[in-house]
Amino acid sequence: MQSSDFLERDNDLAVLTSAYAQACELQGSLVLVIGEAGIGKTRFVRNFADTCPASTHILWGHCDPLTTPAPLAPLYDIARDTGPPLSDMLQTGTGSVVLFGALLEMLRNADQTTVLIIEDIHWADDATLDLIRYLSRRLEGTRALVIATLRNDEVTRHEALRFLLGNLTNSRVVKRIELERLSREAVASMAHGRIADTEALFAKTAGNPFYISEALANPAASIPSSVRDAVLARAASLSPEGCRLLDLVAVLGARVEYSFLERFSSYPVSALGECIGGGILVDAGASLLFRHELARDAVHDAIDPLARRLIYRDVLAEAVAAGLEQREKWAQLAHYAEGAADLDSLFRYSLSAATAAVSLGANREAAAHYAKVVEHSADRPASERATYLSAYADTCTTFQNLDEAIGAYREAARLWREAGDFLREGNALAALAWPLVRTGQNAEANAVTRDAIALVEPGGDSFALANAYRMQAHLYMLDRDRPGALEMGQKAISVSQRVGDKRTLAAAEMVIGAALLVDGDESGKSNLDRCQALAQAHLFDDLVALAYLNAGTAYGETYQFAKAEAELEPGIAFAEARDHLHSRDYMIAWLALCRMYQGRWTESSELAVDLLAQPNLAAVARITALVALARVRIRRGDPGAGVLLDEALALARRTTTLQRLAPVHAARAELAWLNGDAKSACREARTVLELAVGHRHRWHTGEFAYWIRRSGEAFVAPEWIAPPFRLQLNLDWRGAADAWKALGCPYEEARALAGGPVSARIEALERFDAMGAVPEAAQLRQALREEGARGIPKGQRTSTRSNPFGLTTREMEILNHLVGGLSNHRIGELLFISPKTVDHHVSSILGKLGAANRAEAAEIARTRGLNPTK
Amino acid sequence: MPRYLVERIFPDGLGLGPTPDGERIARTVAANNAEHGVTWIHSYVTPDKKQTFCIYEGPSPEAIRKTASKNGLPVEKISEVRMLDPYFHY
Repeated sequence: MQSSDFLERDNDLAVLTSAYAQACELQGSLVLVIGEAGIGKTRFVRNFADTCPASTHILWGHCDPLTTPAPLAPLYDIARDTGPPLSDMLQTGTGSVVLFGALLEMLRNADQTTVLIIEDIHWADDATLDLIRYLSRRLEGTRALVIATLRNDEVTRHEALRFLLGNLTNSRVVKRIELERLSREAVASMAHGRIADTEALFAKTAGNPFYISEALANPAASIPSSVRDAVLARAASLSPEGCRLLDLVAVLGARVEYSFLERFSSYPVSALGECIGGGILVDAGASLLFRHELARDAVHDAIDPLARRLIYRDVLAEAVAAGLEQREKWAQLAHYAEGAADLDSLFRYSLSAATAAVSLGANREAAAHYAKVVEHSADRPASERATYLSAYADTCTTFQNLDEAIGAYREAARLWREAGDFLREGNALAALAWPLVRTGQNAEANAVTRDAIALVEPGGDSFALANAYRMQAHLYMLDRDRPGALEMGQKAISVSQRVGDKRTLAAAEMVIGAALLVDGDESGKSNLDRCQALAQAHLFDDLVALAYLNAGTAYGETYQFAKAEAELEPGIAFAEARDHLHSRDYMIAWLALCRMYQGRWTESSELAVDLLAQPNLAAVARITALVALARVRIRRGDPGAGVLLDEALALARRTTTLQRLAPVHAARAELAWLNGDAKSACREARTVLELAVGHRHRWHTGEFAYWIRRSGEAFVAPEWIAPPFRLQLNLDWRGAADAWKALGCPYEEARALAGGPVSARIEALERFDAMGAVPEAAQLRQALREEGARGIPKGQRTSTRSNPFGLTTREMEILNHLVGGLSNHRIGELLFISPKTVDHHVSSILGKLGAANRAEAAEIARTRGLNPTK
Repeated sequence: MPRYLVERIFPDGLGLGPTPDGERIARTVAANNAEHGVTWIHSYVTPDKKQTFCIYEGPSPEAIRKTASKNGLPVEKISEVRMLDPYFHY
């Protein structure tokens, strides 16, 4: 059986060996080994591991099929191998990001190549999935090959796993191996001499190796109709003692230590030999395993439910006696307690498991444990149940299960009220506001925050009050209500200073800073700087990222792009390093938008396209990226802008906020106008005009006014709209052009010039041509022709077209020097550019000439008569 | 994948014909295209070689522009198109 199922794995094995070879050359990677249950993933990986040279460091971790998996179980396995510092850090309860960093350091500094295997990640907890994602993005430059096995038939049920796999799809350093079922021939050779009707065997088992091997264990009998039947048929041949022992081992779990098994004196442990001999159990040194998880599953499910519960009770008792509580194996104990229907124990262990999971960032697992706690706390006092519900809601919020969080916070608030604890009721309501905002229920969020404040205020200073004020300020800020945000923010600051709540203090400074900046008030920067300082000092990582985010986007929203860049670029790097993916994505989207306004269209579209290709992109980032890409397409006259903006509009409508709707409608107005549909342009511009005016948003109102007027409708814009738009509407084309130039917006600047006399319009046309702003250029050119203007530029751009290979003037210059055999450094000196820029041009030249190197390029230039010096 | 019609203007005339040079350029172009998921289907050229109309298959206008830039080819206008063949209607 052994050799034939490897025969068909040759190609797959080659993927692993080549990945290994690359890892030896500091090109680490992640390989996913995927296949259905019983396809032989473990056997395959084990076989590969055996082929690795002896110097390889092999680390092995497993994920277990507990009801709720224990956080970072595979890392614990690995730490047992590596010893300190990892093992010590796990002991002391270090946070997961630090743990991941330590593991990565270890992989980076290793002299030999490491193969790190994590099995069965379809059973992995959130923290382990984070570890895999963390590693997958940082393996280049290490000598590490990470292999993760998973069952593809389990993926659809598990959202976090789908999320991870989606993220990994786009990664260059992730490879996939999908193990296939065995062919007819392989089945035939496996069954050779043992079963006559190999065709029937193939048909029944469909080529699943485990199923086949189970069927072959009892060749005389007819082929069992399912894996389950096959396993049970094998088990049926055991003595009553053997069966009893098998049942016990099935309940105990995937891997059973002998030392633990020996404690079960009331069970026929002596029948072990029979079980191993029968091929159902396997001796793995210090522990005992079922031959396959499928077998354990089948045996476990086949035990009479009543009898099974009693076995779980015995197991739980022994587990406690063996000190699992001291070893803090809460998830495992909770699992046993559930099987034993021991609700008290389940309650206790779930509670401990939940806290442990939170500290390790296994949020989904924490929520699952808290859900059990809540379920089994019906007879406890209201205040206690409320505490659990709040904790449950907190964890649900962290992994975006917002509807659950909302329900739980509400219930918690109700219970706190019942218990007469107004402070905590207020806290729960304030916490409720945030998921309400995220699900677009801003009005409701406002209502509950006001209720929260009303409840908590009479009690004087408290953390709860500081938090409630801060939440209210945040809602005002999102609504672009400057006075409201400042007033509440100030209150939040005062209270949090008095009670010593550093976190709320930092968050409040951030809210005030954002509210001021978005209103064009530069003093907000000092608030944001204070927030940064506090957040960095107290290691509030998420707030550090948010401070960058709020500063960057506020500057972006007020067209101050240099300042926006100065926040967004470090912000993106920080968020990337600390795995704050939502913040990072939103900042990248805004950077794309800034680049678009700066006329750097190619850079903008590259950022946007990459971002939009990511699965699970948060709506706010998606809307912004769609708008950025759409604007680039609109301004270039490229197809595909409409479909982007339709999607953006659908997403923005769900939020009902000005912040999201305005940019979309402004872009739609521009698209309609350039498509010659003035009526639609006007309609789009008017859709959220009132909302913009109501919020006194100088930029959105300004752009809407611009499009309404350009569509030919009369409109009196408020005088507080942003200066460039105001000047434009006042027909001060020179003033407007200068204003746009000062902001670094070449397209808007050209548009302003186009409102001037002929000379200015010709200048504008040249600018449009140079930028590739085809629709505006075409309209302007047409208008100038109709007016009979003279000196209209012909519309041809730089000399990309002037030679057959399409080299630009600069590239021709550099090619000339290549012919002369100069180095990048020397060329840079001659042309006053950096060697890096020269290198960039050289790559382009090589690409265009189809040359493999500089010498070849020079040769082509010489022989083809490319006369570089013109 | 969508199809795009790309209009190009060569003021000095396109220097790409069935010559060794032309073959080399064509191969380089194809390789650069493949990297971005772009496939050059075929082109139409005016007799004076100053204008071309090229049909491409690709994921987005940005990919078309990227490969154009790499291949040193100008882009005048990109339109998304669908094929319409008289034979469909018989």
